[in-house]
Amino acid sequence: MPIKAIIVDDERLARSELKKLLALHPEIVIIDEASNVEEGVEKIDLARPDLIFLDIQMPGKTGFDLLSELEKAPKVIFTTAYDEFALKAFEVNALDYLLKPIDPKRLADAIQKLQAEIELERASLSGNQRGPLSESDQVFVKDGEKCWFVKLQDIRLFESVGNYAKVYFDTNKPLILKSLNALEDRLDDHVFFRANRKHIINLHWIEKIEPYFNGGLLVELKGGEKIEISRRQTVKFKEMMSF
Amino acid sequence: MKKSASLYWICQITGWLSYGLTIIFFAYMLDKQLSLTFYPRILINIIFGILMTHLLRKSMIQLSLRPPTPSHQWWKIFSLIIFFSILFSILTSSIIEIFRLFDSDREGPKNITDHFSWSISSIANNWNGERVNKRFLFSLILDTPIFLVWISIYVLWHYIEFTNSEEVNKVKLETIIKELELKTIKSQINPHFIFNALNSIRALVDEDPQRARQAITELSNILRSSIQVDKVEITSLEKELNIVKDYLALEYIRFADRLKIEYEIDPATIDNQLPPMMLQTLVENAIKHGLGKQPGDCLIKIISKFEQDKLVLVVQNTGLLQSTERDGFGLQSTKERLNILYHGQALFEIFQCKPNQVTAKLAIPISISKK
Repeated sequence: MPIKAIIVDDERLARSELKKLLALHPEIVIIDEASNVEEGVEKIDLARPDLIFLDIQMPGKTGFDLLSELEKAPKVIFTTAYDEFALKAFEVNALDYLLKPIDPKRLADAIQKLQAEIELERASLSGNQRGPLSESDQVFVKDGEKCWFVKLQDIRLFESVGNYAKVYFDTNKPLILKSLNALEDRLDDHVFFRANRKHIINLHWIEKIEPYFNGGLLVELKGGEKIEISRRQTVKFKEMMSF
Repeated sequence: MKKSASLYWICQITGWLSYGLTIIFFAYMLDKQLSLTFYPRILINIIFGILMTHLLRKSMIQLSLRPPTPSHQWWKIFSLIIFFSILFSILTSSIIEIFRLFDSDREGPKNITDHFSWSISSIANNWNGERVNKRFLFSLILDTPIFLVWISIYVLWHYIEFTNSEEVNKVKLETIIKELELKTIKSQINPHFIFNALNSIRALVDEDPQRARQAITELSNILRSSIQVDKVEITSLEKELNIVKDYLALEYIRFADRLKIEYEIDPATIDNQLPPMMLQTLVENAIKHGLGKQPGDCLIKIISKFEQDKLVLVVQNTGLLQSTERDGFGLQSTKERLNILYHGQALFEIFQCKPNQVTAKLAIPISISKK
């Protein structure tokens, strides 16, 4: 099954050089290309590629800005001439980047690795591309200097903080500019549950459930956070949890 | 300055007082009964000691003999010492003579140690009768060493102070030089530019081989001049402009239609001298902010002309001046370089000249330029 890809780079020659290199990899199909961030976001949201080749330094906005504007991040291979600082921003994430001029061998390695990942995901998932975000989908999170690609299954809690949402995963709690209501609409409601006005929890991360005041429940997550489930939501919760 | 002056006076007074006290101490130790004239004699010695050494210092400063002194000037210092020792001896012994402060009742020195324990004039006074010339001679023999001690301390003090300040200055200068070297090297070669250019050239190899070959030449020229920038102190505007043209040609390959370039060069200016890579830095900065920070088209205009006694270089670019740009690394090091090379005779400014145009202006003296 071919991998659909979009190239985002402000230089025409850089795009054409990459296309030339990718001609050796028929499994990658370039469905479109973009020369700036706005165009890129538009085309990616529309065409839903599996992969984007993304330049970091572009006029106006950077590749990181593009990722934070996307609702759901596809697989990304960064292409950059010289950006050791920008790339250091990434934490543990296994992230692929290629230095321009691109070494064909490095490109082949990156594609091979990616292909294996994509095959695996496709096997476990019978392609609900247009539906809500699934557990194995990744989101791009940028908080100040640090960036992460996070799989939704690794996120145990969203907490509302004003206009922002605090995302809990591993030991990190970065903020993203999204409201809980918007998140709730996009998330798979079999996995993510709106516990109360302020919290959305990942049901797979629940450690313990205790009764609480007013017929509500108190849920303890594997990360140690204690979240109250409001009375109204408790009914729904019990419904979901029973056979 | 004030601090060192007061320090001088503290040293002067404590030094001479301890000289007096030492003599009194030894006189007590060796000869229990001191005459009434002894103390005034010491006082006169101290007062004239301070006065004469102060005059000695004044005349040394006046003759610019203040240490560290070149070796061929030493004889001058030595003559000054002799002169002031003689003057001192004449004055002290005459005053003692006039006020009759010598111990006329005494029979002359009892022993050798007695001579040394007593102040110079007291010895002279005790020598067979009260002959002025003898008293004077003794005063001279015993006072000159005091002056030599004084001058040694004075010279030593200045040498230590000099080497200290010299060392501090040296260390300071070295760090500044290192910092600047580092900054120029860093600001000269922008790795991002080099790798992007190489990437475009690789794409051109198939697309337009002729242009690719030309681009390799252009990139070589830029690399060569940025390697040489540490070795060459000054270059001609013509050479610098060639580098700028090569650089802009390469950027034009990358950005194509987005980039427009205009030159307005007064032919008379091209032989003028300027520090290498200085114009280049400004052009790089213009590209970075004109093309890199906004998606639209960008006009880069380079102007060179004479204005009064200055060579004026102007680089304009489309865009808005950001506060970070003004204090940016490249421009900051440009300012520092200019300050060091032209000692404040050069001008550099960057400003928003039109709503959508930024001007960087550099003015360097023509007279400084060497052939």
